[in-house]
Formats: sequence, C-alpha cells, structure tokens
Amino acid sequence: MTRKLRPYDQPPKRKRTLIPNAPDSAAGLFLVVAILWLLAAATLGILAAGERLFPDVLKFSFSVPLGRGINIDISRATVDPAFVDALVFGWLTNAAFAAVFFITPRLTGRRLMSDAVANMGLAAWNLALAAGIALLYVKGASSVGSLAEFPWPVKGLALLGLLAVNGAFWRTLLPIGGLPYISLLYFGIGLLALLGLFALASIPSVISLGATNDQLLWAFTARGIITYWVLGATLGALYYVIPRVTRNPLYSGGLALLAFIGWLAFAGLSAIGALIDPSVPYAITSLGQAGTLLLLAPTFLAIANLLATVSGRWSLILSPGTMQFAVAGLAFLFVSAMLESVGALRSVQGLTAGTDWALGVLVLGLLGGSTLALYAFADHAFPRILRRSWSEGFVVHAQLWTAFAGAALAGLGMVGAGLVQGSLQAQGTSPDQLDLTLLAFRLVAAGGIGLVALSGFALLVNVFLLYTEGPPVEYALPPAEAASAAAG
Amino acid sequence: MTPHAPIPTRPGLPRWALGLTVFVLLVGGVYVASNLSGTNPAIAAGPSASPGAGGGGGAAAMALINQAGCKACHGPDLGGVPPTFPNLHGLQSGPSVDNLKQLGQQHPKDWMNIWITGTDPAVSNPAMRKGMPVFGGPPYNLTPQQIDTIVKYLLTLK
Repeated sequence: MTRKLRPYDQPPKRKRTLIPNAPDSAAGLFLVVAILWLLAAATLGILAAGERLFPDVLKFSFSVPLGRGINIDISRATVDPAFVDALVFGWLTNAAFAAVFFITPRLTGRRLMSDAVANMGLAAWNLALAAGIALLYVKGASSVGSLAEFPWPVKGLALLGLLAVNGAFWRTLLPIGGLPYISLLYFGIGLLALLGLFALASIPSVISLGATNDQLLWAFTARGIITYWVLGATLGALYYVIPRVTRNPLYSGGLALLAFIGWLAFAGLSAIGALIDPSVPYAITSLGQAGTLLLLAPTFLAIANLLATVSGRWSLILSPGTMQFAVAGLAFLFVSAMLESVGALRSVQGLTAGTDWALGVLVLGLLGGSTLALYAFADHAFPRILRRSWSEGFVVHAQLWTAFAGAALAGLGMVGAGLVQGSLQAQGTSPDQLDLTLLAFRLVAAGGIGLVALSGFALLVNVFLLYTEGPPVEYALPPAEAASAAAG
Repeated sequence: MTPHAPIPTRPGLPRWALGLTVFVLLVGGVYVASNLSGTNPAIAAGPSASPGAGGGGGAAAMALINQAGCKACHGPDLGGVPPTFPNLHGLQSGPSVDNLKQLGQQHPKDWMNIWITGTDPAVSNPAMRKGMPVFGGPPYNLTPQQIDTIVKYLLTLK
C-alpha cells in the first residue's frame, strides 16, 4: 500500500534560482523591461511636449517633508532630460542589450556566458536608471549635462551594470576565432563605446573640469553615445534580422565591412563636432562637423546593402510583421541621417541653434529609425524566446502605423518648428508672436509622441497575447542545405 | 542548445560603393578646407542647463540670449566670471554687484531693463550709454519686448 504524499512533501519539479540563468532569459527580460521603459519615455515625451505648450500650467514645485525637506521641481528643465534619458537609456539601450544577448549565441553557436551575469547587469542598470530619473526632479541632486545628469553613486551602479553586460558579451564572443559576422562587430564596438563614454561622462561628478569643460565633455559623450551605441546597435540588429527573415544571404560582405569601417571612423569624428565653444579651435570643430556630414556615407551604404539583401523577397513587406518594421526603420534612418548631415553645416546651425530642430532630428532617428528597427527585432525574437507563434491581428497593424505616423509627426513637427523659429528670430519677431506661431507645430509633435506611446502599448498587448494565447511552436535547427534560412 | 546557423554573405564590393565613398570624402575635405578659421560661438547649454526655464517663453529667451552673445561674458550657464562679469542667477532680490545697487533701489521694477539697454537709451553708442557691450548694432538690436523676455527669464534663474 502506498500513502499519498501531501503537496509540501513532494520534491520541487524544477530548481528555481534567484537570478534566472536559462538560455534566452536575459534577452527576454531585457526586452520586456525595454517595452515598459518605452511607455515611460513616451509618457514623459507627451509631458515634455505639453511643457512647451502650457509652460505655466504644467509647472509644479513643492517640498516633501522628509528629513530637512526635499524640493521637487517638475518643469521643462526636469522633464526634457527625463524624456531623453528614458528614451535612450531605458527603451533603446535595454532593447539593444536584448538584441545583443539574443543574436550573439545564435551567430556564434555558443551559449551566452552567462545569462545570470547579464541579468545582474539588467538589475543594476535599470535600478540606476530609475533612481537617476527620479532624482532629476529633486532640486540640487543632479547635474545638468545631456545624458549625464545622474549623481555619481547612481552612475557607479549603472557602470557596474554596463560592466556585467560587456562581460557576458565578450566572454561569449572572444573564444570564437576569426572575423565574426558584421552584427557582432557593431555590437562589440557599441558596447565598449557605451561603457567608455558613460565612464568619461561620470568624471565631472567626481572632479569638475570647470563649467565650460564639463559642458563640452558632456556634449561629446552624449553625441558619441548616439552615434556609436544607438546607431551601431540599430545597424547590428538590422544586419541580423533582415537576412534571417528574407532567408537571403547578405548582399555584400565587402560593402558591410566598408560601411562598418566608415562608421567606426566618422562616428567618433561626429562626436568631436559637438565641441562648439570659443575655447575649442575652429578647425577641430569643423573637422567634427565634417564627420557628421561623412557619417551619411556609411549609413547609406549599410541601408543600401540591407535593401539589396531583400531583393526577390519584397512581397514580405506586404504582410504585417518584422519586414514592415525593418523597412520602415531603414526609411527613417535614411531621413534622419540626411537631416543630421545638413544640420551639421555651420550655415544651417546659424539658423537652427537654440531651436527645436536638433531635438526633432534626434526624435526622427531614435523614435523612428531605431525604435522601428528594434520593433523588427522584437517581432522576430519574441516568438523564439517564448516558443510561441504570433497570431495575425489588428494589434500588429496598429503598432506599425502608430509608430510610423507618430515618429514622423513628432520629428517633422519639431524640425519644422526649428526652421520656422530660426527664420522668425532672424527677422526680429517678438517672442510672444513666435510662441503663437510655433503652437501648431508643437501640437503636432505632442500628438506624434502620443501615437508612439500607443504603439508601445500595442507591442505590450501583443506580447501579452503571444504569451497567453499564442500556439506553442518549436524553432528547430534547419536542414543543412537550408542553413541560411535559419533558426533562431 | 541555442539553434544556431551562420548568415551567409556574398563576397565582393560593388564599385559604386567605392566611388560614393571617395566622393563623400572629397565633400568632407572641401567642407573642412573652407571652414579652417573663425571663432566658435559659446557652448549652448541644453534645456536641462537652464533651471526654471519656463516653456516656450524660456526657449525663446534662451534663443535670444544665445543670439545676443550674453554667454560670451557671463559664461555658458550665465553663472558669471567674477569679479568682472556678474552672476545672472539669483537676481530676484535685486542687483548682486555694488555699482548696480543704487540703480536697483531707484528702479526696483525695471532696473534690469535699464541695466541691459543702458542708462541713457537716447545715446546711440552702447559704450557711451553704459549698457551691455553687445547691445549695439545688428544682429544684437533687441526690441524692448525681446529684452522683457530675457529679463523675465533671468528672474527665474535661482
């Protein structure tokens, strides 16, 4: 006779660890956290746009009776950096980390070393980011540098997170001999640049180099983070997703390498172009601005290579999903690269300095190009991480079109506002008249960011439906003759 | 085991790509060669560098401040370069330098407008009327409304 065991006498079915270490756990967690940050960033973006429309209504300043009292300030001065930080470090960086941890094992054939370390990086990075953004609203707690506002203990925690992410990536990649696939080259340089530039931007928190030098350093590192990390990770993800989905070989290895070398050289030069001050030799700044101008070439070469890879499979963009996101992302990337190049010219800067132009071009690149490229990656990766297949539906269409229309409206609204502002200022228009004229542009920009927020919400709903209702599916190794068609 | 397959890559490099690269490098070279001498403007502080910048009016004021060149003397964050160029933060309670305190007492409401435009606006030479040095000819010919915008903004700096 056997006696039935009570539930608590039964051994656990599987061992659960405090820090997940299952394959793809880091990629999945980074991606989910990234989507939450996208929603937060878009909400802050709507608030930032609202601050431009109703500055007095949306300005709050109050004191929290804690200790000696904490003064909270919610105004454009605090909402603008919170929006950019949440967008760049929250949404784009977490999604790009997910791409790194999803793609690297699939291209190297090695398990990630290790998912647990990557997940510790996730915890450190996101805790630091949340604390840093919260402290932006506390008067006197943060610096004023672009993408470098966090106080030094927060930066220290974020640096630990970046070290863990770099460690997990490099320990997987380094044992592989030979030149890795182009995506991994972009990821490697991008990760090292992010770590180095973030560390560099932390120097003034410890030792001030003087007000002007601190500002110059932050301008350099902020520009470098965008050109090296965000642009590099975006291209790296697209170089993986497009050949995988189309099942075509990459159009040209030589072209990819030429574009990579160009990006490596000009992304750094472009960061030097941000050093605009009388203390910096004019020729050095001009050289940097030429770097931004020249960065158009590698970006264009990469886009051309990827579009040529789609050759023969264009029908894929007629069905909702990865390819639609990828091609839309490439279109935004091209437009923003063109505008960046034009905006680097001194004659154009004379017109657009101090206007919404620069933020508009940034929004086109980040909310348009990079966001849509990472949507393409998420659309490709989520079914493989969750082992479930998408069910076609309205939500995917909604995600694409709200992101597309939102990024276009927000970016072009701000770029237009910048041009109009610059022209009217040159004519000596009064500030009140100026604000009135810019109202329509700013309303369009606010609406656009709202649409991007809706697209993030649609992605979250889509992932929830995939997790709860998607039919299970196995992504097995393909037959040898179709290896390129590929799994993963 | 993670499903793994390399992505095949076609070898070779299209000639047009080389041509385009050479062309763009030439354009960049011409741009640098034609922009070798000059003086950069003062670094523009980002939106977060202007605590209290109030929305559209604040942005317009910042643009005017950049345009007028105030930062050239008062620093990129308008924090001043003591003792010659005073700090423009914390002016809500009146002038911070001794030689302006009398002006502040005589004109508590508009001492900053007078300080910027000069004590005798009828005198055309800005150096003679003791206004801000950059408040001279174009492009610094600010209207009274534009000066009002700058003053309102400066009064928000703490």
